[in-house]
Amino acid sequence: MNAEPVHKDAGPRGPGPGDPLGTAPLLRRVPPLLQHGARWFLGGVFLYASYDKILHPQAFAQAIFNYQILPDAAVNLTALVLPWLESLLGLCLLVGFWLPGATALSTLMLTVFLGALAFNQWRGLDVYCGCFSTQGPAGTADLGTLARDIGFLLLSAVVTAAAFSRRGTGPPPVRASRGSADKPG
Amino acid sequence: MAFMFRNQANPWWQALWQIPAVICLAAAIGLAANQWRPDPLALPGDWSAGTRLGDAAGAGLAISLEEARRLYADGAAVFLDARPATQYAQGHIRGALGLPWQEVDRYFVDVAEKLDPTKPVITYCDGAACELSRDLALFLREMGFADTRVLVNGWSVWREAELPVEKSAD
Repeated sequence: MNAEPVHKDAGPRGPGPGDPLGTAPLLRRVPPLLQHGARWFLGGVFLYASYDKILHPQAFAQAIFNYQILPDAAVNLTALVLPWLESLLGLCLLVGFWLPGATALSTLMLTVFLGALAFNQWRGLDVYCGCFSTQGPAGTADLGTLARDIGFLLLSAVVTAAAFSRRGTGPPPVRASRGSADKPG
Repeated sequence: MAFMFRNQANPWWQALWQIPAVICLAAAIGLAANQWRPDPLALPGDWSAGTRLGDAAGAGLAISLEEARRLYADGAAVFLDARPATQYAQGHIRGALGLPWQEVDRYFVDVAEKLDPTKPVITYCDGAACELSRDLALFLREMGFADTRVLVNGWSVWREAELPVEKSAD
């Protein structure tokens, strides 16, 4: 069943020092290239998502206001900070910097976005998504948007698990997961 | 659990300081960038209904329910439903025309033929924060329907006042 080389610090029996989330046995089935690919893709998504919002804070503030979730006083602050947070996060994911923090935050943010989208779907509020573009009617939030966010969230979960199981923490090349980098520090 | 705090290479420990660090960095950049913009956002912003419903010239767009009701009773105004067509079909102000803002290009020509530029137009959607009616009203003003107003949270207040509504015949 286990054709891959055995990892010394990633025991099959749940969380341990090198694998605090206990996901190493599962991760072993996801090819490292895919794990890195998912991280790069997610980084690209965050970078792309931040671009238009950084250029048009006023329109993004309007989108946040339309969600009717944050108190009015927090709308503009969020509109100014969130796009930069997304772009920093995207950069971290792309270059493999601060991965434990970046991946955990990515999962956290996607969960919050999903919650906000689902909440407004549930109460029937018709809002622009404001996810990738701040412009106009093109981006109405709907079930497709929810599905897309769930997809990103799953990717983010894989990437987070990889970063938290010691061997995935560096920006290191694909091969690092197969050998010497596995020794417990 | 003790290992988590003993070992600084522990990913939990790293995440614990990296997350606040990246948030602080984003806040610093975001706020600084805002200062350099020619049109910085105010902090905190003013999102009250009165401010939001002004047009570029600062003229108020909102119409009170009382006034809207009077115009309705006299048949003096045309009501436009700015919500998506599906919601219009499920119920709208009786006699109102559907002009979904999200598909305004598709519907505008048909609806415009039925409008009288000399008569007031009243747009509405649902929810106090709904912007569809406002966007539609600004668009109509640009298109020459100068007397266009917004009934804020129109669908809800109209039903609460138990004024006439209807569903679309399929």
